[in-house]
Amino acid sequence: MSEKKIRVLMSKPGIDGHWRGGIVVSRAIRDAGMELIFGGFQNAKQIVESAIQEDVDVLGLSIHSGAHFAYTKQVIDLLKEKGVFNDILILVGGVIPAQDFTKLKEMGVANIYGPGSMTNDIVEFIKTHLKK
Amino acid sequence: MTNDDIIESLVNRVKKKDKIALARLITIVENEPEKATKIFKHFENINHDSYIIGLTGSPGVGKSTLTGAIAQKMLDEGKTIGIISVDPTSPFSGGAFLGDRVRMTNICLHPNVFMRSLASRGYQGGISRAVFDISMLYEAFGMDIIIIETVGVGQAEFDVYNLVYTVVVILVPGYGDVIQMQKAGIIEIGDIYDVNKKDLGGEDIAVQIEMMLDDTIFQSGYRPPVVLTDAISGEGIDELLQCIWDHKEHVELSGNINEKKKNRFSYKIKELLFTKVEKLIMENFVDENEVTNIVKSALEDGKFNIYSSIHKIFDKITLEIKKNS
Repeated sequence: MSEKKIRVLMSKPGIDGHWRGGIVVSRAIRDAGMELIFGGFQNAKQIVESAIQEDVDVLGLSIHSGAHFAYTKQVIDLLKEKGVFNDILILVGGVIPAQDFTKLKEMGVANIYGPGSMTNDIVEFIKTHLKK
Repeated sequence: MTNDDIIESLVNRVKKKDKIALARLITIVENEPEKATKIFKHFENINHDSYIIGLTGSPGVGKSTLTGAIAQKMLDEGKTIGIISVDPTSPFSGGAFLGDRVRMTNICLHPNVFMRSLASRGYQGGISRAVFDISMLYEAFGMDIIIIETVGVGQAEFDVYNLVYTVVVILVPGYGDVIQMQKAGIIEIGDIYDVNKKDLGGEDIAVQIEMMLDDTIFQSGYRPPVVLTDAISGEGIDELLQCIWDHKEHVELSGNINEKKKNRFSYKIKELLFTKVEKLIMENFVDENEVTNIVKSALEDGKFNIYSSIHKIFDKITLEIKKNS
């Protein structure tokens, strides 16, 4: 029974009420044999504290409010401050304009998934890009 | 650093109340339980003073929301709390959707709480194999209170009873009639019965539980109370918490706590022994191909008898064990 499982935290920073995307991706992650912790609405501090206590390998941020730069920066700054940024793969999903991808990646996001993304690709990316 | 050095350094950090290190040690005992021996060797004197409470009930009765609500009150009273919440692992994919933390966002940032979501990982009984080890880590961390929230259970998953000192069984309006209350199992193990979602009714269920308790003899003199709560609005939470403290006092003053601690450890020792013996036998004496072949040939010759097939395998194992001892 003892085996390593990939642990993923799925959070929605802010309070935009678009849950379906995060739920669909969470389900795909569950069905790929990973352990998905659903964080729901959380602010940056709550997201980082949850990621630490759950010792996750991956953090998914589902953002549909247009505030992806602000939220992602807050989360990444806090992860760095706590010294866990290098252990956690960060993915962002939601309505993110393609021209913002590069900047998000420069900030430390591993990949971005907008509308129409394939859940299989997300699962495959996680499996091949874990940091620890 | 070698594995041993990593463990030792994590243990030292936990002794200094480092939550990141605690989270890492939990991952280790969960993924590699064989390392628990090494980890707990470094915690010389765990005094097992944490008081352990279990919350159990069917899916959707409000276990997580109640956990968040009572934990908030306990934090207000200045307690330090470790929470373990278990949700089921899929028998198909091996994955899990852990949806307990989302109900406890209110306490997430409090410095005196640590909360961990666990998947059951194939373990039966409403908990996960790692629950015991994690509760020991919380004890080592110096938590005053440990709350174990089970998987949403049915009638017969009551292993949590063996690991905690106070069991809160949570029901909701519409649970059932007098017959349901007479069934053995989960309905018997409560030290406190909580009828949650009282905004939907529930007085009838409370009466049914009281009638069931009327037919029970309590040799200790403690009769489990029945509380009505609405976890979301917070109604009844103070009463529920008072019932928990009352039961704690009863358990501690009566000396019953020592029996419960003994039971907790012997439960784990037995489980460890069974696991080791099973592994030893499966690895050394059971050839899974042979099992498949016996079943295959038995099915093919049309005279398949499951019991004679099993005996064929079992006799051979017994013989080999005897030869080796």
